[in-house]
Amino acid sequence: MSEFAVKVENLTKTYDSLIALNDVSFEVKAGDFFGIIGPNGAGKTTLLKILYSFVTPSSGIVNVSGFDLNSDYKKIKNLLGVVPQEDNLDEDLSVFENLMVYSMYFGIPRKESLRRAEELLGFFDLSEKKRAKVISLSGGLRRRLLIARALVNGPGIIILDEPTMGLDPEYRHNIWNKLKVLNKSGVTVLMSTHYMDEAERLFKNIIMLNHGKIVVKGDISDVLGDRYKRGINETRSLEEIFLDMVKK
Amino acid sequence: MHAFLNKIRDINGNLSQRFFAVWYRNFRVWLKFYKPSIIGDILEPLLFLAAFSLGIGKFIHYIHGVPYIIYIVPGIIASSSMYAAAFEATFGSYTRMATKGVFDAILVTPVSIEEIVAGEVIWGTTKAFMSGASVLLVALLFKWIVSPYVIFIPFIIILNGIMFSSLSLFITSFSPSYDFFSYYFTIAVSTMFLFSGVFYPVSALPAFIRFFVYFMPLYHTVSLIRLLDEGKFSPLIFLNLIVIILFSLIFFYLSVIFIKKRLIT
Repeated sequence: MSEFAVKVENLTKTYDSLIALNDVSFEVKAGDFFGIIGPNGAGKTTLLKILYSFVTPSSGIVNVSGFDLNSDYKKIKNLLGVVPQEDNLDEDLSVFENLMVYSMYFGIPRKESLRRAEELLGFFDLSEKKRAKVISLSGGLRRRLLIARALVNGPGIIILDEPTMGLDPEYRHNIWNKLKVLNKSGVTVLMSTHYMDEAERLFKNIIMLNHGKIVVKGDISDVLGDRYKRGINETRSLEEIFLDMVKK
Repeated sequence: MHAFLNKIRDINGNLSQRFFAVWYRNFRVWLKFYKPSIIGDILEPLLFLAAFSLGIGKFIHYIHGVPYIIYIVPGIIASSSMYAAAFEATFGSYTRMATKGVFDAILVTPVSIEEIVAGEVIWGTTKAFMSGASVLLVALLFKWIVSPYVIFIPFIIILNGIMFSSLSLFITSFSPSYDFFSYYFTIAVSTMFLFSGVFYPVSALPAFIRFFVYFMPLYHTVSLIRLLDEGKFSPLIFLNLIVIILFSLIFFYLSVIFIKKRLIT
């Protein structure tokens, strides 16, 4: 087991004339609660999509749990749980079937899948909705199912692209709590957001992206403290730092 | 050439039994909505048979010395399985790929694009089989087919399903919308239905049209099933088989390449 869950070196992604990611390097320690923050269009989704092989990098090295993304992406997919930004739950299947069929994609034996699906439904308070159609679920419940689905393979790393976007405070808190529990159990969480209160509350380490470049990197208390030490403002929040960076 | 062979090798390397999960997902959903599917895939070709035996068969008694209804049964088996595969691998697959995000959801798992394509093709083939086999069954019940070679026909239906699912999935791979399929169904599918020897011998057509017919995939399955149905063994069988296998392989690989291009940037 590698010390780093994710190691990214000099990652660049260009689309024709657009530079989506520009020489990005960072490491995520195993067990970290790692945040990628930045405004819309900063490159957060592109970065995450590279990690789960939806986007091929133009250059750079990506290593996940000691495996090189280029050559070992199949092994990497077995280790990852992915919660995409677009909800792509299978609407033709029930809540329970969503988990069971997803387990099949990972080649998990049926007995194990059944046990895991029940466990996940319990953990995400979805047991009562087991037989429900996905379309009948509220936005918040759908999001919980989307996270549950990402965990069917018992991943060591979970990647979440703005998982609380558009949710009411109750659902947001609920998802935060679940993610904290997961992280405590040893799962490395790698998550993007543009909600700064969420970032301050959850993340241990962050990178802040703007126009595809890393503008701030490090331990979140250092990031907040660093600004404090410089005496710019005693009560600066991450949100102010963010706005400051974006303006530059 | 070398790069091309490497590409084929890569695609083959990414295929495993995991495609079954993709097939199973579609089958499971089908079980919930099988009634409308049965009407389209099974009842419709049977209506064709009924109309031809009760109606047109009263005016056209024989073609090449064969009672008309017996003459067209092989064509209906081939064309109904073509339609079932073509509908599934266009409208069905497109919905899963472009509208419902099913392919995207699968792709973050260890299932590869090759396995998604294989699962979709085998699923289209399953629908084709249900359609073609039900016509075959009815034809056997009415003794419209009596040849001992009939035992090979189910295999030809499967090959036909693989071929048309692959071809249709290839169209789907670059289709920008549902409307685009009108081109495919009018220009390719309907043309084949009307000119591949389903209803009359291709020899009736002018030579320059016949030339094009030989390039139509449906012509080869109709011809193959008809030869088996008539109990004739002809070397043409091998030619038909080779064409069907080539069409299937070419469009399977093309579908993989194009869907990969579409989904992974």
